[in-house]
Amino acid sequence: MNQLPNATVYVIDDDAGVRDALAWLLRSRRLLSELFDSGESFEAYISRPGFEVREPSCALLDVRMGALSGLALFDRIVKRGLLPVMPVIFLTGHADVPTAVDAVKGGAFDFCEKPFSDNALVDRVEQAVAHSAAALNEQRQGRQLQRRLAGLTEREHEVMQRVVEGLSNKQVADGLSISVRTVEVHRARVFEKMAVKSAVELVNLLRGLDRV
Amino acid sequence: MAGLAERGWQALGRRFRGHLRSRWLLWTMLVLLLAALLGLLVWLTGRYEASAVQSRLDAEALEVVSDLRNGLARNMRQLQLLTPDKPGVWSAQSTELLQQRREIMRLEWRDPQLQTLFGQDALTRAPVFSRTPRAQSAADVSLACSTAMRFDGAAYSNSYFVPQPDGLGLELMDLCIPQTVSGRLIGFTVATYALSEMLVELASAQLPRGYALAFTEADGTRLAMHGQLGQGQKLYKAQLLLDLPGNTLVVRMETRQGTADLFPNPLSALVSSMALALALVLLLLVRDMRRRQKVEQDLAEALAFRNAMEDSLSTGLRARDLQGNITYVNPAFCKMVGLQAEQLLQSGDQAPYWPPEMVALYSRRQQDRYNNSAVLRAGHESVFQRSDGTRFPVLIMEAPLINAQGRHTGWMSAVLDISEQRRNEDLSRASQDRLQATARLAMVGEMASLLSHELNQPLAAIASYANGSVNLLQDALQQGQSADGAALAVDLLTALQRISGQAERAGKVIRSVHDFVRRREQPRQAVAPQDLLDAIMPLVALQARKLAVQVISTVAPDCPAVLCDRTMVEQVLLNLVRNGMQAMQGTPTRGAHRVLELQVHAVHSEGESVRWVEFSVSDLGHGIDPAVAQQLFTPFFTTKAEGMGLGLSLCRTVVEQHGGTLRFESHRPQGTVFHFTLPATALSEADRPTLALSTA
Repeated sequence: MNQLPNATVYVIDDDAGVRDALAWLLRSRRLLSELFDSGESFEAYISRPGFEVREPSCALLDVRMGALSGLALFDRIVKRGLLPVMPVIFLTGHADVPTAVDAVKGGAFDFCEKPFSDNALVDRVEQAVAHSAAALNEQRQGRQLQRRLAGLTEREHEVMQRVVEGLSNKQVADGLSISVRTVEVHRARVFEKMAVKSAVELVNLLRGLDRV
Repeated sequence: MAGLAERGWQALGRRFRGHLRSRWLLWTMLVLLLAALLGLLVWLTGRYEASAVQSRLDAEALEVVSDLRNGLARNMRQLQLLTPDKPGVWSAQSTELLQQRREIMRLEWRDPQLQTLFGQDALTRAPVFSRTPRAQSAADVSLACSTAMRFDGAAYSNSYFVPQPDGLGLELMDLCIPQTVSGRLIGFTVATYALSEMLVELASAQLPRGYALAFTEADGTRLAMHGQLGQGQKLYKAQLLLDLPGNTLVVRMETRQGTADLFPNPLSALVSSMALALALVLLLLVRDMRRRQKVEQDLAEALAFRNAMEDSLSTGLRARDLQGNITYVNPAFCKMVGLQAEQLLQSGDQAPYWPPEMVALYSRRQQDRYNNSAVLRAGHESVFQRSDGTRFPVLIMEAPLINAQGRHTGWMSAVLDISEQRRNEDLSRASQDRLQATARLAMVGEMASLLSHELNQPLAAIASYANGSVNLLQDALQQGQSADGAALAVDLLTALQRISGQAERAGKVIRSVHDFVRRREQPRQAVAPQDLLDAIMPLVALQARKLAVQVISTVAPDCPAVLCDRTMVEQVLLNLVRNGMQAMQGTPTRGAHRVLELQVHAVHSEGESVRWVEFSVSDLGHGIDPAVAQQLFTPFFTTKAEGMGLGLSLCRTVVEQHGGTLRFESHRPQGTVFHFTLPATALSEADRPTLALSTA
């Protein structure tokens, strides 16, 4: 239950009572929350320079707000590419259910109808946070891989590609017009730099990169 | 109607032209007949004249012949008295006779052997036988004398020509008279007649001027003539035989009568002048008739024009006399009441188009109206009945009928069928009612929606707090507390769970109320923007008239249909238009200050797969204050004394439900424009907007 103590839940609602109550509810489940009283203020928050989602997070968006509605704000979040790491759950009144359904089809994580019953909302929030954490992890691994790949020399890169394609050392040496001995040296250095012990591991790693 | 009138005109024209042709034929025949009659008359008159001349001539000729005969007989008696007793005595007697009877040229006394014993020539002229000897005519004389002997009386010889000393000649004829004494022939008295002198002496006594008298042979050779022919062109002839013993003479009488004279006598002149007068009268009649025809034609044209006018009228016309009998109805009136004109004209004073139950009332009212004619022109409404029994309302205007003599003869009424107008009024009222009912319903729905939102907020907070508290208490229980504390916590937990349950229940109540009030979202349909405008126009026009606002609506020609919940979008338009019109209440009514514009056009924004149709409502009102603009869409916010503050809020909800946006801006030079967008239909169902990617 408490596997993600660092998670942040952004609550965006123009009604202070609802905002505070939600913070209270989330805190009772050991979830930290940050509160915003309007779509504009949250947009300002996410668009300030250097903003990056480092910890698992989730956004609770009220559909009905003043000038910048929940839907419009969702649109901005999507445009900024924050969606995988910051899943969005809409808070709706009964009247706005059709709108919210459309939003879910458009990529939102879920919607919850006010008033919320029991802990259903928090359960969904936790799932969203887990989702976010997974996404973050993937993102982080991807970045690490990129860094490792960046550390390879050009020749090591060429050798790695051929190894991943399943060529033998001999074939690699013939293809690059170098000696088998040299290929072995390069190969050992690639394994070391990419922190893998076998060619199979390397292939899996690179497949993950493709996914990211 | 027009076609009918045209056909009528053509028929009239044809008839008229036919009439004209036959008329010309008649006139030509009349003139020809008249001319023939005149010619015949003149010819007959001429013939009559000629026959009169001829008969006069015949009579004259008869007279002349009888004169000749008498003269010759008288001469013969005197000649018989001559006796040759003594030569001296005979000579004296014959000389005397010759002096008296100048037609006798010579007298002779001859013996029975025809030897001339005595001869006596006329003294008044040269002896006729001076150039030719007497002997040459001896044969004629002897033939005459022998004939005389045979007849035992006088006899004439054939005529013979004797040249005369003056170069001319004379046609002579001898008369031989045998003289007997007691049965014994003692000799012959021979008298020589000159034919020309016979004519002069014996016949010319009463010969009128211009007549010529002649002796001719049987073959027409003229032997002697007397008298002078006139200058006339036509020659009249009369021939009679003068039969004498021993010789037969043809007496020919001639005269010339002029035909140069057209009117040879007063009678024919009179007849001719009467005929001329007749022709003149005829000419005058023709002119009169032509004038009449012109008038008739004008009248026919005026009549046809009037008929065409009456037939083309959709207003029923009805004329009644002073007793209330119908005297005239036009086709429009017949059509209106569904009866034939004949039925109406014979209906008496109780019109067949009066509903039976109203007859008494109508009769009385009619009397009242006619007694007080001042009110007639204003018109009054009434109910008529068609022939099939249906009733319909009419507007009647009546005016007195005054004839050419200025007498009041009846009443002329114009009858307007106002059932169509009534129906339209009812229809427009019904559509107005429907729109207003929808507006009220939409308002209630919007209010329920707002209320549910407003109540849901605190309920959500309550539920959150309760749930949070439950969570905390459960944690505390799990960590193990004192027994007392645990019991308290369990009580609190129960209470909190109930609070949460009640909040949820309140939410459900609100939801059910909301579901009940709010119209379920209607299936969206494709509607042409013009249809949306047309639907609200009656209501808009009503208010526009009241507020003296001119409403101009323009739909771009290429504008596609929109996919929408028609009823709700009509409400949006109605709200915006109303707001616009109300915003202009403070502006001057004169000039183009109160103009409300409704524009619809398609919007093509690049990068979007959805096509949008933008509706704009612009007014020239006082504009929107910046402070007001902030709160414009806030529920229950209003600047109007009687407003609920839901109109614009509703508009936004509806538009956003359709995926569109509602925005407003200032209008140049003053006023406000509201724009809202709705999705166009050109796309398939799969491409429908699933998300409002608004640019607000």
